[in-house]
Amino acid sequence: MTIENIIEVKDLSKTYKVSERDSGFKAAVASFFKRKFKDVKAVDHVHFSIRPGEMVGFLGPNGAGKTTTLKMLSGLLNPTFGHAKVMGYTPWELRGEYLSAITLIMGQRNRLSWDIPAADSFLLNQAIYRIGDIEYKQTMRELDELLELGDVVKKPVRNLSLGERMKCELAAGLIHRPSVLFLDEPTIGLDITAQARIREFLREYNRRYNATIILTSHYMADVTALCERVILIHHGKLMYDGALAELSRKIAPFKVIGVGLENAADYDLTGYGERTVGENGDAMVYLRVPAEQATSVTSRLLAELPIHDITIADPPIESVIEQAFQG
Amino acid sequence: MLKIYKNFWLVNWAEQWQYRANLLMYLFYWLVSPIIYLAVWTSIANSKGDVKGYTANDFITYYLLLLVVDQITSNIVIHILADKIMDGAISSEIIKPVHPVLTSTLVYNVAFKALNFIGFLPIWVALNFLFKPNYAAITWQNILLAVPFLIAGFAISFLISAVITSVAFWTTRVYSIHEFYFALVVLFSGQFVPLTLMPEMIQSIARYLPFQLMIYFPIELLLGRLAPGEILHGVGLAVFWFTFAVVAFKIVWKRGLKQYSAVGA
Amino acid sequence: MRRHLNLIRVFLKINLQMAMAYRTDTFVNILVNMMWLGWELLSLSIIFGNTQALAGWEFGDLIVLLGVFRIVNMLMFIMIWPATEKFNTSVRDGSFDYVLLQPVNSLFVVSFSRLTIWRLWDLVLALVLILSGLSISGGNILWQNFMAFLALAFSGIIIIYSLWVVLIALTFWFTKFDNNVTILHALMDAGRYPVMVYPFWLQLIVTFIIPIAVATTVPVQALHGSLSVLQVLMYLGVGAASFVVAVLFWRVGVRKYSGASS
Repeated sequence: MTIENIIEVKDLSKTYKVSERDSGFKAAVASFFKRKFKDVKAVDHVHFSIRPGEMVGFLGPNGAGKTTTLKMLSGLLNPTFGHAKVMGYTPWELRGEYLSAITLIMGQRNRLSWDIPAADSFLLNQAIYRIGDIEYKQTMRELDELLELGDVVKKPVRNLSLGERMKCELAAGLIHRPSVLFLDEPTIGLDITAQARIREFLREYNRRYNATIILTSHYMADVTALCERVILIHHGKLMYDGALAELSRKIAPFKVIGVGLENAADYDLTGYGERTVGENGDAMVYLRVPAEQATSVTSRLLAELPIHDITIADPPIESVIEQAFQG
Repeated sequence: MLKIYKNFWLVNWAEQWQYRANLLMYLFYWLVSPIIYLAVWTSIANSKGDVKGYTANDFITYYLLLLVVDQITSNIVIHILADKIMDGAISSEIIKPVHPVLTSTLVYNVAFKALNFIGFLPIWVALNFLFKPNYAAITWQNILLAVPFLIAGFAISFLISAVITSVAFWTTRVYSIHEFYFALVVLFSGQFVPLTLMPEMIQSIARYLPFQLMIYFPIELLLGRLAPGEILHGVGLAVFWFTFAVVAFKIVWKRGLKQYSAVGA
Repeated sequence: MRRHLNLIRVFLKINLQMAMAYRTDTFVNILVNMMWLGWELLSLSIIFGNTQALAGWEFGDLIVLLGVFRIVNMLMFIMIWPATEKFNTSVRDGSFDYVLLQPVNSLFVVSFSRLTIWRLWDLVLALVLILSGLSISGGNILWQNFMAFLALAFSGIIIIYSLWVVLIALTFWFTKFDNNVTILHALMDAGRYPVMVYPFWLQLIVTFIIPIAVATTVPVQALHGSLSVLQVLMYLGVGAASFVVAVLFWRVGVRKYSGASS
């Protein structure tokens, strides 16, 4: 492995054995004696490498293998095949030095105890990660400044709003100043403002400490705002690894042409391109056309129809992804 | 009205049937301490011949009947109701046109008993083979006579527990308060030992309290050890405490609801 | 080692704060606890109002036994109950993942992170009970018997702890097994009386399957000097072995959890 890569993943695979049986009593008895197992390939020979300080977004539909990959990289799961090195460590050996240098933050799981204020949980983490008092105070000050924690940490966690709680969860996961962050749906369930704050924080954290961040999210906005590079996983297989900007060109080379047309319903537009949904409250009609035909279709439209307005744009990233996963 | 109970029953039975494995585990709680007391007192009786007239076999018979009687007269109202009141889940039941405690809670408790009994019965039969009690004194008349007392015993224990559980409208410390109540039951019901073996002072207080109706009184009745005067005393006791419990429950529940709506939980 | 001591200090501090935050409850709990102590003493006095000895044990011996029982029971309430509740929840909602990713032994964190601290008060009561029991019995206690008593009480607690570890580790295989400690709790009361009182089958259960008697009756037997040196060593050996087995079992369970086996 080369020194400039902080994460190296080769042929990483995880196969779950799922016992399957038909319903009914007879099948239950039969499965008691001879269990039938089905192999489910959650992650299938995945390759990639990541340089220090990169922010990479994992994309894929539910069950694509994103979380399984994150869990293997953090060390929670052993792979069935292949290997991974993070900072030179094999994650699933769960070495103390390794665990002290990473963090895994899952938006849907609570690290903090409900009954006590977050500040107490922070103290616990100080002891667990053996952080000296001076360093601890310094880190807390910085996290407080970045996340605007304030008095929130003094209230029992059960009394916090979802957004406040997520801020505290992030702080709790970062007290030991990990250099690699695995984030699984860190903004799930939060309102738009809270999502934006968390994103801003992550960007700033990455900039300040040159931390490597790997992130999965359902919200494309998280990925577009933070990650220049994305890795697409579908059915456990790696589908795309590269710049976010390149993604739409590679996967779905389409343009969206918006047409302003009086009485649009009177015209048959199927000869020009596929109708697609536009922004809300917009009187325009949107057509999706292959990128290389965009110019010719535009001139045809202008020549053949009484058009008073026209726009050409890249398709929104959501629909690109959707397009990619339909295939 | 009957239809309401039938529907409540169907729902509760189906719900609890799913947790039957859990119920089996909880059966242990009921079984262990009577068996321990049984062992302690038979050991003493064996070493001396008898304890104030109770032979080893009398103790065995007493505790094995106690297991059945306790199954019938005990209740789990606090476990059904207290959390619902404290976390506000009771709201959906309060707005129904039937009394939540006398329908939902009651039926839940009875379904729980019925299900428990299915698990309890084979264990109880096995214990009878192990310990060989002597049920010769039990006659059909005794059983018939005991049935109304068993029902009254359950009714009274259910209502008193409902009164105590209603304290949850005011305080979250209802479980601790219930534990004090539970100590009274242990002290005055005959759960630890037949009441005649308790200190004089406790016996004379227990005579006027409702707790013996839940354990000691029905057992002695089944074994035909009560004189007619004693049985009459039991009737008076049951009537008085049942009336008392009904009135107390009505008052406390009404005030509790008032408090509940005032706080707006 | 220093880190673990430091961690225990922080765990104690946090749990003490919780007890203080709910101080009325703590106070009520202590009252309830005292009430049950009163009942335990009353029930013993009723028993001994009717007999001189229970399976050869006198009143003073049963007071000592009650003290030992209360220490074992204290373990239940201080650690086992709250830790089990937290552990079961964390496996169910997946937050156990975080426990595994901390650079500290997971069994240590699971055992000590939740402590019902006010129960330590029981230790004082238990010591008072043991000392008064000894003075009621009168006679001299040989110092080697007293040392054996302490060692066996400690090893008995380790055995109960180990059994608990095995019971909760079963959750890694059977995720729905969340009344994992009910059986332990239900049989606990059997520790109040000398095991010789019980019918044979119950003696077998509380000695070999859920070995509560090994933590209660056995140490008091050693105090009387009614155990041979060989027996004492054997019980201590069982204590040490069960701890090792429990820790190994926990490790296998954790590995199962992270999908190494299967």
